[in-house]
Amino acid sequence: MSSAPTSVLSRTQARFGGGQAREFAQSVGIIVVGAVLLAIFAETASAFLTSGNVRNILVQTSVLGVVAVGETMVMLTGGIDLSVGAIAFLGEVLVADLTTPLASGATGQTISSAGAHSWEFALIVALLATGGMGLLNGLLVVVVGIPPILATLASLLVATGLGELVLNLRYLMVTTPIFAQLYTNNVLLNLPIMVVIMFGFYLVGGFLMQKTPFGRDVYAIGGNPRAARLSGLPVGRVTVATYTVAGLIYGVAGFLTVCQLGMVSQNDLTSLNFQTIIVVLIGGLSVARGGVGRIERTLIGVVIFGMLANYQTIEGVDPSFQQALLGGLLFAAILADRLLRGRS
Amino acid sequence: MVGISKHFTSTEALVDVTLQIERPMIYGLVGQNGAGKSTLLKILAGDYQPSSGEIRLEGHKVEISSPRRALALGIGIVYQEFSLLPNLSVAHNILLGQEPMNGLRINERRLMDDAGQALARIQAQSIPLTARVGDLPLSQRQLIEIAKVLALRQPRLLIFDEPTAALGQKDVDDLFQVMANLRDQGVTIVFVSHRYREVLEVCERVTVLRNGRVVAELDRPDTSLEHLVEMTVGAKTDTMFKRESRGKEVGDVVLETKGLSVGTRVHGVDLTVHRGEIVGLCGLLGSGQNELARAIGGDAADVSGKILVKGDEVQLRSPRRALALGIALISESRQDEGLFPDMRVAANISISSLQRVLWSPYVRILSRRKERRLTKEAGAAVEIAAAALQRQISVLSGGNQQKALLARWMMRRCEVLIMIEPTRGVDVGARLEIYRQIERLAAGGTAVVVVSTDVPEVMSLAERLITLYRGVVTEEFDPEHATEHQVSLAMQGGAAGPVENQPAEVTL
Repeated sequence: MSSAPTSVLSRTQARFGGGQAREFAQSVGIIVVGAVLLAIFAETASAFLTSGNVRNILVQTSVLGVVAVGETMVMLTGGIDLSVGAIAFLGEVLVADLTTPLASGATGQTISSAGAHSWEFALIVALLATGGMGLLNGLLVVVVGIPPILATLASLLVATGLGELVLNLRYLMVTTPIFAQLYTNNVLLNLPIMVVIMFGFYLVGGFLMQKTPFGRDVYAIGGNPRAARLSGLPVGRVTVATYTVAGLIYGVAGFLTVCQLGMVSQNDLTSLNFQTIIVVLIGGLSVARGGVGRIERTLIGVVIFGMLANYQTIEGVDPSFQQALLGGLLFAAILADRLLRGRS
Repeated sequence: MVGISKHFTSTEALVDVTLQIERPMIYGLVGQNGAGKSTLLKILAGDYQPSSGEIRLEGHKVEISSPRRALALGIGIVYQEFSLLPNLSVAHNILLGQEPMNGLRINERRLMDDAGQALARIQAQSIPLTARVGDLPLSQRQLIEIAKVLALRQPRLLIFDEPTAALGQKDVDDLFQVMANLRDQGVTIVFVSHRYREVLEVCERVTVLRNGRVVAELDRPDTSLEHLVEMTVGAKTDTMFKRESRGKEVGDVVLETKGLSVGTRVHGVDLTVHRGEIVGLCGLLGSGQNELARAIGGDAADVSGKILVKGDEVQLRSPRRALALGIALISESRQDEGLFPDMRVAANISISSLQRVLWSPYVRILSRRKERRLTKEAGAAVEIAAAALQRQISVLSGGNQQKALLARWMMRRCEVLIMIEPTRGVDVGARLEIYRQIERLAAGGTAVVVVSTDVPEVMSLAERLITLYRGVVTEEFDPEHATEHQVSLAMQGGAAGPVENQPAEVTL
């Protein structure tokens, strides 16, 4: 047996064990895919690799990047969260509504400025609401025992409904200068604070998952929930906490959306629900089971997604085709996962 | 008339086994785990092919090349795991895969008629044909399973594999009535069971298998419970493992149960476990020993009675609560309930002791350095090489995986360790190592409760051995002064007669 020629992968497997070799291959694979796309885009579109466009890509993906941190954590526990965009939307609407003194309603009425609050206050209220939605998700999953896909589908509807209720068919224009500043003012390497915040979330999220007992518990619960219970882990508590933290993260993303768009309307974040799951899957997590994957790789998935969307925009690709290409990318990610992880 | 003879030399699972079944009757097949019963059944079911020998059915040589062929020949098997679909109706389950058709549509009326007839053959008309199978009790599902086999073809030989393990006494009696009726209708029944009392009650002739050979063929008038036990156990009991020293002085009582009952499986068990002692719990499959162990580990629902830890009454609502009190459980299912397959061995060991791996109680960050040191310590205690600690646990052998689970609880420093079937899926060489680790743990003051259906294993390991039968403690032994016969007899309910479903009757 030992004299038989072995492939690189199986040799690595013999050395580190199957899983680590797989993880390694997956990390390398996704970086290679990202690099190849980057090279092609830079070669075919001269504007692609200019510093202004790179900044653009990062700014435009920062909301997606932030929510993907929450979704990754949830999927590591073996769950899934479909309510991402809806919860972020609720946060977005609350922030905008509470900070806007003169809201131009659909009927053209003018609302008095007495209702305006500071952005800090608005953020806190929004986080309470989105954290609450996350908590609801967690409790539905853990206490009531509803499968995550159904529990978060219900939350998707609830959060969307609440957001629309507050918005009341208006378009809200935000006027508080802080939002525009967060979007435009560069703080680091020509990058605005939203992008720095996104990277911050990956740093903190990666640290939380890799270096703390909480993160270890999340991996264990996703990897084998029965064993986690018999090992004495607080399975319910950790799961609820994960969904709640994810809700808070979506709330921050809602705040950042206000910064990015400067106005709020009904369908701002509906596409976020599935975009988030796509980037997490490109990053190498599995819908079928938790406990495998790294939060940092989700960031690479986000950047790949951002590059693709941006390239198609500068090249003027038909938006319908963009959708189809996105689907193709998802297919490729799932196939790669199958090949590396086996069919079971 | 069925004459079956088989010769199996390649694997030695069965050696030159000859069974002759002459006329419709209820025929018993007994033997310990690994005696070759399953192999024989699989050959009859068409799952395995014999390496030599032949099967004759009514004088004609037949080849049972596939499960389909077996059914065509009229050989049906009722397995101990049910194959019913819980969301379908009773009738649809009985005729699954051979529904009477009306063109492309199922002929529902005929379906009902046919299913009703199959149930009538076993006097089970009372089961509603339209009920959802998932809503019915276990005993009725067993009958549906039989009806399903009866509906397939006109069976000539019907094999029941351990059909009573999950049933209560009343249901067992009903099942025996069904078997007798089928025999009167001309069907030969083979009853495979670990419960010799039941075998003696219902079978006219019994074949005993040991190590793949037929060691006895007994007619009921010529045999007794003691005789059957003696034949299955055999003369020699080779215990490869010898304790270095049995615990001389007994420590304080660390765990106690008083009148502990779990659902319908365990009835009023009193158990006392001392520090540093190994207690064995033995019972036949489904005798309640696993449920008792899980109750103590905080992993059972519907528990009543008292559990005391170091004299204080406690409520063990979850494994987490039990662990907080120092009680750890290693279940019989390592893959499903023990391991985190995607994690390294070190992380598998430290997962229950992350508090010890923190930088400090206030800085809740995992310290790689501490984790490495502590898992190395725990790993060394069970002889896991330091290099293996950084490998993924799923690539390890069953024996090493089990050692990693032991290391998990060593690192956690539990006071009571409960192990269900500690050497299941562990090869012979690694077994000795596991036994030595268990012994070492006990020598260090941990109380160990070993639950096993493997009597020689428990006899060589435990200071005290307690037998259960139908959820009730039947006897307690000092393994050094007891024989495997005595223990096996107690696992069959004891020579004194059945103690069916009686409340606590504890012999100490």
